[in-house]
Amino acid sequence: MPVVSISLDTLLSRIKTEIPRDDLAKKLRQLGCDVEGYATVKRFKCSSCDNIMEITETENPPVVCDQCGADYKVNPDLLVFLNDHSVIRMELLAVRPDMFDPGGLARTLRGYLGEETHPGYELHSGPYSVTVDPALSQKENFRPNIACAIIRNMSFTEDTLRAIMKLQENLHWALGRDRKRASIGVYDLDKLEGTDFQYRAVANDEIKFTPLGYNLNKDSDKLSPKEILDKHPKGVQYKRLLEEFPKYPLLNDAKGTILSMPPIINGEISRVTPNSRDLFIDITGTDERLVNKTLNVFVTSVAELASGVKIEQVEIRYPNSKTSTPDFTSQKVKVSPSHAERILGIDLDKKKVKDYLERMGHKVEEDDSDELTVFVPPYRNDILHPIDLVEDVAIAYGYHNFPLSLVPTPTVGKQLKDQEYFALCRKSLTGLGLFEVLTLILSSEEAQYDKLQLPRDNDHVIIDNPISVEQTMIRRRLLPGLLDTFAANADQELPQQIFEVGYISQVDEKCETGSRELSRLAGAIIGPKVNYSGIRSICEALLREFGATIKTVPTENPAFIPGRVAMVHAILNGQEMVVGIIGEVHPQVLESFKLVYPVSAFEIQLSPLVLPQN
Amino acid sequence: MGEKQLVPEMDFQVLTQLQKTEEPISIPDLAEKAGVDQSKASAVCLYRADLGEIEVQENVESEWKLGKKAKALPGKSLPERDIIEALNKMGGNAEIPKVAETTGLENKVIGQSLRWLEQKKWAQKDGKTLKLLPNGQSALSNQYDDEKLIKYLIEHGNATNPDLEAQGINIKTACDLLNGRNFIEEKTRKTRIVCLTPKGRELVNQGLEVRQELNQLTTEMLRSGEWRNATFRPYDVTVPGDPVYSGKDHPLVSIFDQTRRVFVELGFEETESPFVESSFWDFDALFQPQDHPARDMQDTFYIKRPNTCRLPDGNLVDNIGRVHENGGDTGSIGWRYLWDKEQAKKPVLRTHTTAASVRALASNPKPPRKVFCIGPVFRRETVDYKHLPVFHQVEGIIIDEKATFANLLGVLSAFYKKMGFDRFDFRPAFFPYTEPSVEIFVWSEKKKDWIEMGGAGIFRPEVTEPLGCTTPVLAWGLGLERLAMFRYELANITHLYRARINWLKETPLCR
Repeated sequence: MPVVSISLDTLLSRIKTEIPRDDLAKKLRQLGCDVEGYATVKRFKCSSCDNIMEITETENPPVVCDQCGADYKVNPDLLVFLNDHSVIRMELLAVRPDMFDPGGLARTLRGYLGEETHPGYELHSGPYSVTVDPALSQKENFRPNIACAIIRNMSFTEDTLRAIMKLQENLHWALGRDRKRASIGVYDLDKLEGTDFQYRAVANDEIKFTPLGYNLNKDSDKLSPKEILDKHPKGVQYKRLLEEFPKYPLLNDAKGTILSMPPIINGEISRVTPNSRDLFIDITGTDERLVNKTLNVFVTSVAELASGVKIEQVEIRYPNSKTSTPDFTSQKVKVSPSHAERILGIDLDKKKVKDYLERMGHKVEEDDSDELTVFVPPYRNDILHPIDLVEDVAIAYGYHNFPLSLVPTPTVGKQLKDQEYFALCRKSLTGLGLFEVLTLILSSEEAQYDKLQLPRDNDHVIIDNPISVEQTMIRRRLLPGLLDTFAANADQELPQQIFEVGYISQVDEKCETGSRELSRLAGAIIGPKVNYSGIRSICEALLREFGATIKTVPTENPAFIPGRVAMVHAILNGQEMVVGIIGEVHPQVLESFKLVYPVSAFEIQLSPLVLPQN
Repeated sequence: MGEKQLVPEMDFQVLTQLQKTEEPISIPDLAEKAGVDQSKASAVCLYRADLGEIEVQENVESEWKLGKKAKALPGKSLPERDIIEALNKMGGNAEIPKVAETTGLENKVIGQSLRWLEQKKWAQKDGKTLKLLPNGQSALSNQYDDEKLIKYLIEHGNATNPDLEAQGINIKTACDLLNGRNFIEEKTRKTRIVCLTPKGRELVNQGLEVRQELNQLTTEMLRSGEWRNATFRPYDVTVPGDPVYSGKDHPLVSIFDQTRRVFVELGFEETESPFVESSFWDFDALFQPQDHPARDMQDTFYIKRPNTCRLPDGNLVDNIGRVHENGGDTGSIGWRYLWDKEQAKKPVLRTHTTAASVRALASNPKPPRKVFCIGPVFRRETVDYKHLPVFHQVEGIIIDEKATFANLLGVLSAFYKKMGFDRFDFRPAFFPYTEPSVEIFVWSEKKKDWIEMGGAGIFRPEVTEPLGCTTPVLAWGLGLERLAMFRYELANITHLYRARINWLKETPLCR
């Protein structure tokens, strides 16, 4: 999860209640924020693009601008140190994007502290509209939705500028799934002309414009959509979101000036500067509810951060419908206090539930029915079902205040039969002085086959996206793990006697998941005087504990020394079955595992010993 | 003058030899001269010392040598020093392959050095880049004690404490810094110097005579009763024996067992399910949308062979698909996207044991039931001291008409109390399949901080209702390696899976 630094000054200036530091962290944790702690960050400004960057005490100052790419090693003067800043650092709670920035977080805290509930945001109508090209809804150009707003009377401070930039980045991560489902664009309205804008699909070489960070006065800096994907750093980064489509989305004003090519890059011409006063905002994406919610979160947080702004609606003209955004109509959800009481196990009534929900920012209406009508604030995106409001009740009540009780219904406890047999194995082998080890279930063909001189078979489970060459499959046997353990203990006293009980996996088309897991036991001894008879005695002792007698039948196996290897048969209830293999490990195998003392080992399948015989 | 003293043969040899040797003598030298076994000479000396006839002086000396891993040292300096010097040359930070090139160190050695660079706060890894920290900067002109010690040993082969003190090396600091690296080895040598006391000399001067003594009690002596006339040669009962260790379960397995016992005591029945699992049970049945980041190839292991799973028969699959698309009949608005059945068939290595819980729930949703599962889960994480791609969880569910969120917090606190923790904290959290959701923290007195142990919640109606369950289902998944690291004070999680035999031997069963 990304970590965000919330400016303490900005946060606290928006709360009336005086909260000591420790208490603030505690309250935020009670609300579900994963607070890491307090820190001092150093703030720098890029004088090339006015980008604000922060570093923590352990980090080095930036060497390039993360927005415009200015190189401070070449031009050290471009990087200006602004100040030290106290922040509270926390991991983002992905489902509450309305708490990503100091403005939204303060709003939540004000509710929780009882200072206010369900803040309203006044919406003004305006002349602006965006017409949506029907081509964008076709599956081959899929990015059909757009929601827009205008924010007037903006006055940026260094704090709000930083907070808004961060918010945009974090919303891309949390709601936009890295811009795939939704992406945000912010523009200086003064640089745009007319009021009838267009959101349309263009061929990738149909048009040219100057992307953000390029020179408006240079003809060679005008790029086609295709060139942007190939050349512009953001284009290269997000290429995968567009390249498969024959046409790309584009937003332009009434005169055809290009605002952006969503979700990749804005145009340079409408770049926002600290002096911008009126802003045009767009969210494009693949789901209408999501672009609207994202817009609501963004716009209301901006309104919290910069007081005195005026929010103006934009009409979105879809091919078959019209709508005005932002739309702050509350989602209406019925909540039953008695249901909440039953689920949570605390004393609740209508009044208490109303109070708790109001502290979580909801508007609640009471009537004669048993249910409450809850109006969810427009910036909340996480209420899918009434149960989500029950959680809000629990949070407002405080998890730390819950009584700790047990379910009153008695049930009978029982462990798996398999575990009883595993315990039996452990008791027998530890009694013989062996030590249990655990090795990773993930292994490789090299360890499982090549190093043992065994041919690779077709029935092991292969990982599609392994993370290392040592972990490309699920183990097919335990022995390599034991040999690896010896290798890791080459400096330890000899002899060493170890065993492992665990699962292996095998492809089996008859099974629902295409493979099945089998329980195995392997034991091994390393030391100068280790031989076959010693390990056979151990294996025999173990089988004895299962009520079975051992029979060893000569066999050949490339992992073991010829003539010193046998199949292990178990005779149980008069029935003879093959359960495993036993022998002295082949010197070539020892060499492959970098071992310089003899090893004898056995590995057996546990299931035949524990399954009821028929 | 009294009469001659009767003494055992061994005592006769030792005392007579000591009489001949005027100067104090070490026990090995004495044994050699007297022609007796060293341990026996030692036993005699200690016995006679108790009688006040021999004076024993003990000298303990430490001797330092290069340890087993020192062979791997590339030069006379520690690799982390080579690295910071290289970093300094390269302007304070550089990508790791560049560092390898400049230092000439293998990538593996650089990888191993990260931990020490971090511990000494010399440099920090940030992505692929190593950054020199202020501490590292100042270390450039200042050798630490561990380095001085290594250098001395490389040059001189071995060293005693006075040698090192003479060099101004703080031995304790050096040892602390080198702890766990096996670059050095300490051997303590105890030597005993002995001589006759005046009382002993008097005894010897009186004249000694050998008295026959017995070493071993035999069956014959017992049968014949001859033992009644025998004297047994005394042993030095203070001499330590060779250490032996009882065979033991793996410490993590002890934690699994204890966990199992706790849940069985609380009335839970154990279940299991495959760890090669279908996306359907691991994600879809848990209302995890198909574009959820946790389902990414980045985070989850997908399986190439077998390449598909069978989905359950009947309406279950369609019901779950509808819940994703529009909430189905659950009263939810769903995730609002086109659910793809094919994606649900993809096999994965299960990312949580919740897959086992939801299978148990689907197989029998009828309350009351309490079910738990202990098993491995997989996340696509690079191995480091805190992370492994495999770890174990204990997962549990309670299906009960009367189950409440308060019961959930109650059963979790009961578990951690039984596992030996007395302070815990519950905080709101988010999981796609539970609501309300909670994260459990326990207090670490050592770290003076709360440590996250796992997540829990009440299954969402979007999870339970398609499975035919209308009662509340309390659910949790708690990490067990974390408990083990806590209990056994492990600094590195890989110790559990590539265990040192001596750790297995020496970890006491009782905790």
